[in-house]
Amino acid sequence: MKKSLFVVLALLAVFAVGAQDLIIANGAEPASLDPALMTDTTSSNIGFALNEGLMVYDPQTSKGIPAMAESYTTSPDGTVVTFKIRKNALWSDGTPVKAQDFVYGWLRTLNPETASEYAYMLTMVIKGAAAYNDGSGPASDVGVKALDDKTLEVSLVGPAAYFPDMTAHHAFEPAPKWAIDKHGSNWTKPGNYVGTGAYILKEWKPQDYVLVERNPKYWDAKNVKLKSIKYLASDNSTTNYKMYKAGAVDWQVGITVDLIDEIMLRKDYQVSARFGTYYLSVNNTRAPFDNVNVRKAFAAAIDKTTLIDKVLKGGQIPTDAFTPAMVGYTPQPGVGYDPAAAKKYLADAGYPDGKGFPPLTYIYNTNEGHKKIAEYIQQQLKVNLGIDIILQNMEWNAFLDMRAKHDFFFVRHGWIGDYLDPNTMLDLFITGSGNNDGLYSNPKFDAAIRAAVLATGDARMKLLMEAENLLLTQDQAFIPIYHYSNQDMIDTDKWGGWFPNPLGYHPPKFIYKK
Amino acid sequence: MSKYIIRRALSLIPTMFIIVTLSFFLVRFAPGGPFSSEKKVTEQVLQNLLKKYHMDEPLGKQYLRYLGDVLRGDFGPSFRYRDSTVNQLISQTLPNSMLLGSIALSMALFAGISVGIISALKQNRWQDYLAMSFAVVGISIPLFVIGPILQLILGLKLRWLPISGWITSRDGLKTLILPALTLSFPYFAYIARLSRASILEVLRSDYVRTARAKGLSERVVIGKHVLKGGLLPVVSYLGPAFSGIITGSLVVESVFAIPGIGRVFVQSALNRDYTLIMGEVIMYSLILVTMNFVVDIVYGFLDPRISYK
Amino acid sequence: MSQNLNSAVNEFNQEMKPVSLWADAWKRLRRNKMALVSLWIVGFYALVAIAAPLIPLHDYRTQTLSHTNLRPSFKPAGQIALEAVEAQAILLQERVDAGVESLKPNLERTLREVESLKAALDTDPASKNVYIFGTDYLGRDMLAKTIYGARISMMVGLIGTFTAVLVGVIIGAISGYIGGWLDNLLMRFVDIMYGLPYMLIVIILMALFRKEGQSSIVILFVGIALVSWLTIARVVRGQIISLKNSEFVEAARSMGAGTGRIIFRHLLPNALGIIIIFTSLSLPSFIMSESFLSFLGLGVSAPLSSWGSLVSEGANTMELYPWQLLAPAIEMTIFLFCMNFLGDGLRDALDPQSKNRT
Repeated sequence: MKKSLFVVLALLAVFAVGAQDLIIANGAEPASLDPALMTDTTSSNIGFALNEGLMVYDPQTSKGIPAMAESYTTSPDGTVVTFKIRKNALWSDGTPVKAQDFVYGWLRTLNPETASEYAYMLTMVIKGAAAYNDGSGPASDVGVKALDDKTLEVSLVGPAAYFPDMTAHHAFEPAPKWAIDKHGSNWTKPGNYVGTGAYILKEWKPQDYVLVERNPKYWDAKNVKLKSIKYLASDNSTTNYKMYKAGAVDWQVGITVDLIDEIMLRKDYQVSARFGTYYLSVNNTRAPFDNVNVRKAFAAAIDKTTLIDKVLKGGQIPTDAFTPAMVGYTPQPGVGYDPAAAKKYLADAGYPDGKGFPPLTYIYNTNEGHKKIAEYIQQQLKVNLGIDIILQNMEWNAFLDMRAKHDFFFVRHGWIGDYLDPNTMLDLFITGSGNNDGLYSNPKFDAAIRAAVLATGDARMKLLMEAENLLLTQDQAFIPIYHYSNQDMIDTDKWGGWFPNPLGYHPPKFIYKK
Repeated sequence: MSKYIIRRALSLIPTMFIIVTLSFFLVRFAPGGPFSSEKKVTEQVLQNLLKKYHMDEPLGKQYLRYLGDVLRGDFGPSFRYRDSTVNQLISQTLPNSMLLGSIALSMALFAGISVGIISALKQNRWQDYLAMSFAVVGISIPLFVIGPILQLILGLKLRWLPISGWITSRDGLKTLILPALTLSFPYFAYIARLSRASILEVLRSDYVRTARAKGLSERVVIGKHVLKGGLLPVVSYLGPAFSGIITGSLVVESVFAIPGIGRVFVQSALNRDYTLIMGEVIMYSLILVTMNFVVDIVYGFLDPRISYK
Repeated sequence: MSQNLNSAVNEFNQEMKPVSLWADAWKRLRRNKMALVSLWIVGFYALVAIAAPLIPLHDYRTQTLSHTNLRPSFKPAGQIALEAVEAQAILLQERVDAGVESLKPNLERTLREVESLKAALDTDPASKNVYIFGTDYLGRDMLAKTIYGARISMMVGLIGTFTAVLVGVIIGAISGYIGGWLDNLLMRFVDIMYGLPYMLIVIILMALFRKEGQSSIVILFVGIALVSWLTIARVVRGQIISLKNSEFVEAARSMGAGTGRIIFRHLLPNALGIIIIFTSLSLPSFIMSESFLSFLGLGVSAPLSSWGSLVSEGANTMELYPWQLLAPAIEMTIFLFCMNFLGDGLRDALDPQSKNRT
């Protein structure tokens, strides 16, 4: 009796696996499957299955490796890159992939009428792209040309060594003109979708799931191992974790931070450093934070290591700098934890032992994790500086609005890099930059960043380090707390081709069942 | 009576108009906007976006345009889910919430009224105390506690039922059991306690005494007279309850990963997805005002004492 | 609608001596054991909440990071923490032995912590603390947190109930009794209030009244009061419509009673049962809606919390630290239970029709 039950269960299990290969708890409903319109990782996770650009992210390093392009050459001055597109590259409807499809796709992303939020990735590097995007220049001036069906030439604004890596990003994917002309905004729906990726869109049930299946026309189809992938839209991480534990989900994107004490003991808990930084923004133009000593006092008063060891526990890396370390680049830190120094800085600023310090509110967007950090910071400032601050949480959108209007003194902030280079971090603090919410402004810093655009190699890195040195070591423009970590639940003994990596992108073409 | 019904029905039009108008401006008055994100879009892209959605026009003009579209049944494109229109999103998620909601409400009505009657007839005996304590527990423990506990025990530990998912998954109809049960809890509690209280009152009223005095059997008295009058408060409560339950519960839909409109609504409000919020407000209000209309009409049939002049 | 006038209930004698209505009610309430016990418990809750600052509690704000997530116990915290960390060290050792290299630094840190906790057992006064409800994720006393949470939640419940009864009952009664265009107007107003996107109204309120260095508790009450009366208004209206053609109302009217008198003296006392039941049913939803409003940024600011926010936080960690859910949840459920039984008792005690039976 028991035995037959076991057989039935085993059969059921086999049947269950046969239905879908990989089931992913993707964390939310994708906002869009149009490569030009995607803005969130939920969408781009699926996008990596459906589309492929010139390059694809290496699953281990997050660097670009050739995909639609089989090779590329860079001109001696580094400003012109020529891609050779694979002869056997096909769209999912069988049409050959041409260089013109890339030109069309990129121009579509840049077209003001498309209103793509990630167009800035192109405008940053490609000659003439910014002018076309803001309506001041024609499309014909954009530095992207199809020399023939299989050769794409890109002219850059400067010698951007990181450009080929960038083309793995979804903003640089080609677009199928014929499908878009035929279906309009419905071209991303099942049945209409035409893509270059290893998988094709089979089903899309809003708020429920997206199902993709292996694309037989894909140039590297013989190396694609999974038959199908299901992306669940469930946004409740506690539920997702239960599903994962029950075996109904194979990969949970993100983790349930409340259960970290249990999760960190599991061997299928994947954690790795992420290319981004959690920090506390202060308004550099408002008293008391217009005083560098106050900023330094705050920075020196917060014990980040204990915060991570005792409260967060999720593999975050405490930091006094902003840019994560990388080859050729040494991060330039601001003031580290030192309660005695903190008191001294505060006294130098005119508030000995916190006396006379104005009432202050720290604002964070509603989230359990942010709340824990806020409470911890409140206590640290109280103990180490004798300052009482009030905590205030805000709903996300109102929070962004308040921060964008610089209507704050002290707020929570975070930034995730778009590509592995110091520029994606440091550009934030250029005077007048749209994301410079704390209104830091230092002409010397701006000059260093601008000079780096035209430089290459070590000289460029030196300029960027000089910039960060001004930003933090000298000016302490804000208070860095930690570098983010990628946290996922997936059993890598069962699933191969999945690796922790700095950008947290996991192109599904590499994933296979062991 | 028919005159009352017509007048009452006509009043729905200005009500809807006011709701649409006020919501339109309220939504835009809320801080933030549909295009804000941690990484701000460049000024130029923002201008492009505003232009694309006609948000660069004066507010009055946008309002008139919107009103015209709505009258034609077009709720416009979603700002957040840029591949979809509001009509598509609502038509794909509302039926799911309606299905779950009607199952939960049917369960709550059936169980609630039965328990209410039994409690009222056995007033202050153990059956009454047990049932009412259960109802109070049902209303005191929030859904986001009941749901995960049921998941943990019946889903993860015992593996009897799927933890989450929808009927589109392999588990099929079994996925409905836990969320429907969870969702019905507070409604059950309301219905049970309301019906108990009002049945107790009706039991002592003149016309029930008259019915009893006429020598009618207890079954007829309860079934015909007591229930009719005793369900009045339940019916008043049902108007808002029905519209609330079939337009989805955020908590239950989130905990059980139900592709319903409740989640979409909260997300749209948080994302300031103006058109989607408006579409949902209109759908919800339509159901609500219609339900309250139906409830008002039902009053007349339920209670012999009510007459509309 | 012909009914035997002889069986009309005798409301009239109670009209004559309204004072004795309450005296009578009190007498009947005292005979109801459940209600009386509930009254005592609610009184105790109120007393503790009001006198919280005078009670020798640990400060609900004080973080002791070596005492995080401690289970409830009457033993000193240092010992409980040591047991917990030692157990954690064993778990980590097992994992490391099983080949999870990445946990090694974690293990080393935990072993160091065992040593420092042992050393602190006698020296650190904090390790003598006793947490009978356990501690939270920052090592704060759950008992103090739930008591301070009770203050907020009971206040919210009070305000919600107060506006619900005051506004809801009056609007419902007027609407039901007068009827006609006024009824239509008031009830359509209720429909409109239901229809407007409440979440956005709250967000707007919050943005409008945000002030540097101040928390937003008053706006929280406004946010709760705004919608708490809607359903009860509809329920009361339904009851009044059904009662207004009863003989006793006709009789009062023929005796020349004014509208106000008929509503407050004749109709409402007869609808009181439903009003009380409905109000006590709504109490939990007021208390829980506070936690939703704090999600939107309207409410008490951390580290102060409420039952609602404690329960929703506790629900997330219930698999690991069940007491963080149970402490506030049980405290809250007992309170709501008592309020419901008290409501039932009040209803029975005030029931005008049971007066001549008891």
